[in-house]
Amino acid sequence: MSEIGMILDRIGRSLVADVVPHLEGHYAGGQAMLTGIMTVMAGEAWDGAADRLHREIEAMRAVLREGGVAADETAASLRLSDLEPTRNRFAERLITLQTRLETSTDPADFALNTRIWGLLLAGAAERMPTPPEFPETEPD
Amino acid sequence: MTEPATTSQIDDAGLAEAFARYFMDNTPGAADVTITHLTRIHGGASRQTYSIDLTYSADGKRVSKDLILRRDPPDSLIDTERRIEFAAIRSMAEIDIPAPEALFLETGHEALGAPFFVMGRINGGVPLNPFRIDDIEPHRRSIGEQFFSHLGAIAGVAVEGSPLTAEVESPALDACWQRELSYWSNEIRTKARRPEPIAEAAIRFLNANPPPPAQRLSIVHGDFRSGNFLHDEAGTINAVLDWEMAHIGDPYEDLAWATDPLWCAGDTERAAGLLAWSEAIAVWQEASGCRFDPSAFEWWSIFAHVKAIGIWISSARAFAEGKNDDPILAWSGWFTHAAHELTIASRLAPKFGLELPV
Repeated sequence: MSEIGMILDRIGRSLVADVVPHLEGHYAGGQAMLTGIMTVMAGEAWDGAADRLHREIEAMRAVLREGGVAADETAASLRLSDLEPTRNRFAERLITLQTRLETSTDPADFALNTRIWGLLLAGAAERMPTPPEFPETEPD
Repeated sequence: MTEPATTSQIDDAGLAEAFARYFMDNTPGAADVTITHLTRIHGGASRQTYSIDLTYSADGKRVSKDLILRRDPPDSLIDTERRIEFAAIRSMAEIDIPAPEALFLETGHEALGAPFFVMGRINGGVPLNPFRIDDIEPHRRSIGEQFFSHLGAIAGVAVEGSPLTAEVESPALDACWQRELSYWSNEIRTKARRPEPIAEAAIRFLNANPPPPAQRLSIVHGDFRSGNFLHDEAGTINAVLDWEMAHIGDPYEDLAWATDPLWCAGDTERAAGLLAWSEAIAVWQEASGCRFDPSAFEWWSIFAHVKAIGIWISSARAFAEGKNDDPILAWSGWFTHAAHELTIASRLAPKFGLELPV
């Protein structure tokens, strides 16, 4: 776990375990509990966010090029604020490409669309956060 | 005579005073209104929800009232009209479904600073957390039978002449799906903060593979699921809540939403995590008068994921723009959005040739 991830993890767990019991019955208790849960989740997501975005961008770049769509630009840095706009530009083009492939009868297009679905499924699985296990704490 | 208590049981003294005044002005014969308890309830971010105990004098007697106040927040999970929720609850009067008593409706901002409505509070009920369905044991079967029976009963209510028909349009039988898909597609496209390839693919799929026409027009609750009913912890559902998304449409919309995997922590063995699928469908058919059609259910269940994405995207935008700081909106825009993206991708990818690992 990264240093920042560790800090977020500890803060979130402390919020849930130490602060929330003092707020029982108050609206703020629910706010604090959910904030604590998401702080722990943010600690986990923080560590892998840039790596995940970088790999998602490169995977999209490959299928876009295979589909004849330009995808040459690169993010200015590995900051999330640079990676996210690049990922979003590619995702926009991916939607257009996939829409075209779905109307094609060419088996090669069908195969490329299958690969895109593999990419989409893998990305969705990677983005899925793991809710921390606190007894009696899941939001309703 | 407004005498809100000054103890910690009053979360908002100004609101208590304003509400006591409103209650007295709108309850014939009521005097000496005293609010003894007013606390905000967490959850239900589509409205600010308060639990209120009050007493008042009428006809020489002291009367007690337990109420729920639902006031519009600056922004909410779902953009709805409180008059629709009010009308939907009143439309249930003809059937034996445990809905709260609809008491007051205000569409202006004068009384409490925002539109609101007031319901009778159903005491002795607890919600079932969708993330902890097992908490319902040992009453899973009993609650499951009531859950699908109530769901079917709502679908079976005569639409014509119901209070809801005065508030919302009634689509043609073969237009229900398109109206709902158009609405939620528009929500996604106008409120998304980034491209949504998975949701867009699902929208294209649903448009290209429409369901059969609705078997009948029904009142659709719109958010019937675990978390939106109360039970008495002894095997009885004593309230069906959150009618704010009610409309008239295809009853399969409710069946699919109620059984979405998010609301039962992914339990695939039981419908809504409560009953075996065959039993749930039999109960629903009996109560609704509808015939189960797997192809209709398939379409509406994928649609339910898209509708959910639309709600989560709206939540994320409201939170990001600072319109509402409730962390439930951030949770919705993150965790539940991710969960439904994964569900959609898992269902649609095989239809486009991807072999999933067993």
